[in-house]
Amino acid sequence: MEFLAEHQLYIVMIIVVGIWLGLFAYLFRLEGRIRKLEKETDRES
Amino acid sequence: MLLRGTLGVLLTLVIVAAFVPPIVSQPQSWYEFPLIPGLEEKARIIFFHVPTAWLSVMAFVTSMFYGIRYLRKRDMMDDLRSSSAAGLGLLFCILATVTGAIWAKFNWGSFWNWDPRETSIFVLLLIYGAYFSLRSAVEVEEKRATLSSVYSIIAAVTVPFFIFIMPRIMTGLHPGAKGDPDGAGPVIDFKMSLNMRVVFFASLIAFTLLFIWMFNLRVRAARLEYRHQLKG
Amino acid sequence: MTSAERYSTRWVRATVAVFLKDWHSELRTRYAISALGMFVITTIAMILFSLGSEPASPEVLAGMLWVVLFFAAMSGLSRTFVMEEERGTAMTVQLQAPPSAVYFGKLLFNLVLGAGLTLLTVVLYALLIEGFVIRSTGLFVGIIALGSIGLASASTIIAAIIARANTKGTLYPVLSFPILLPLLMTVISGTRMASEGASWGDAVGEFQILISYIVVVTTTSYLLFEYIWKD
Repeated sequence: MEFLAEHQLYIVMIIVVGIWLGLFAYLFRLEGRIRKLEKETDRES
Repeated sequence: MLLRGTLGVLLTLVIVAAFVPPIVSQPQSWYEFPLIPGLEEKARIIFFHVPTAWLSVMAFVTSMFYGIRYLRKRDMMDDLRSSSAAGLGLLFCILATVTGAIWAKFNWGSFWNWDPRETSIFVLLLIYGAYFSLRSAVEVEEKRATLSSVYSIIAAVTVPFFIFIMPRIMTGLHPGAKGDPDGAGPVIDFKMSLNMRVVFFASLIAFTLLFIWMFNLRVRAARLEYRHQLKG
Repeated sequence: MTSAERYSTRWVRATVAVFLKDWHSELRTRYAISALGMFVITTIAMILFSLGSEPASPEVLAGMLWVVLFFAAMSGLSRTFVMEEERGTAMTVQLQAPPSAVYFGKLLFNLVLGAGLTLLTVVLYALLIEGFVIRSTGLFVGIIALGSIGLASASTIIAAIIARANTKGTLYPVLSFPILLPLLMTVISGTRMASEGASWGDAVGEFQILISYIVVVTTTSYLLFEYIWKD
């Protein structure tokens, strides 16, 4: 904690890494949902 | 899965490597970045801003490529790919413009200066805007696909002219432009140290992988939508 | 006469026929001529009102000339294709002439229309707007001529696209502007140079860009026109 208070740039870095991991997880789940839909659609036709 | 894993790890590493190394005037060890006069800490933007600009150009080329393929084979999937690439291109183009403008405010004093690179990205924005206005104006799918493919090809053959025009009529402000005879063109040649270069190219690769993944998802979603429309 | 020769004679005849068809219908209705003429007059009047008695620099006036020319072209040069769609004559023309003949016939018509438009605009502009001085006349004429050809060549293919998109006029400037921007930037800088009294040698780069632009746009349009024209 003291380290972070001294090197403030690292706080920004942690935030950006957090945003990126959040986006990554979102894209990952989106892909899962698309895959499910693809299976359903292709079974129907 | 390999693509997603590589992307996840690589971009995380890039973010860490972009922020952690201290910027010092006389770099002593491998993890220190050199101080570039006039840029200082703001130099770190290059690892994120330039890849977005690069993707907006790459998306444009991808869109044109599938446009040409549509005209040859008349396969609706190619049109879906072409428009999906253009959609992502528009997204990254807006991101490049906004991030560049924020940075320019603090480096050059105003959000917009009509620097050659700013003009180039503005033209690209206009082309994407025109492309989607054209698409929304046509109802019939085949016609929409043909017209937008043709338009993207015509736009693509006129864009290279800017490489010759820019240096003639404007002077560059962009980093990499100073004292460089062709520095006022739309393409950037940065004078980076080796370790910056490594992070920069790793970032370019990571963003390209991100583009491939997003493109893949978007095309699949567009295909589902298209099939759904055919049925209903 | 070989078959190739016979084909090319037929092609030239078809091109001229397409051009003459538009030319005669234009003479009958005078739609494009009057629309363009009125557009140029109102725009120049507008500029005169907004300038008032303030003196404007030659650089600004050189750029304004191309603002007038661009929007005037956007108001009239789409006519030749939109007309075919409106009257439902596109099908007939499709059957009677090969696509490339249609393209070059229409291009020829737009070149003539564009030349007339440019001439009218430049004459009115030079007469009415004080402070618009051209020091090297030859250079100015060269830049204006090539600019007008370039304007017509890019406008023609975009006109073909928007006629098919049945949006009529609204999208025309939106689609044309990014395509025409390289041309406009070059001619504006060329006009500015002419008003400052530059020599031909100074503007070699401008001419190279203009000529290659015209060649590239016309060739691409010729190659792609078939896809737009035929359903």
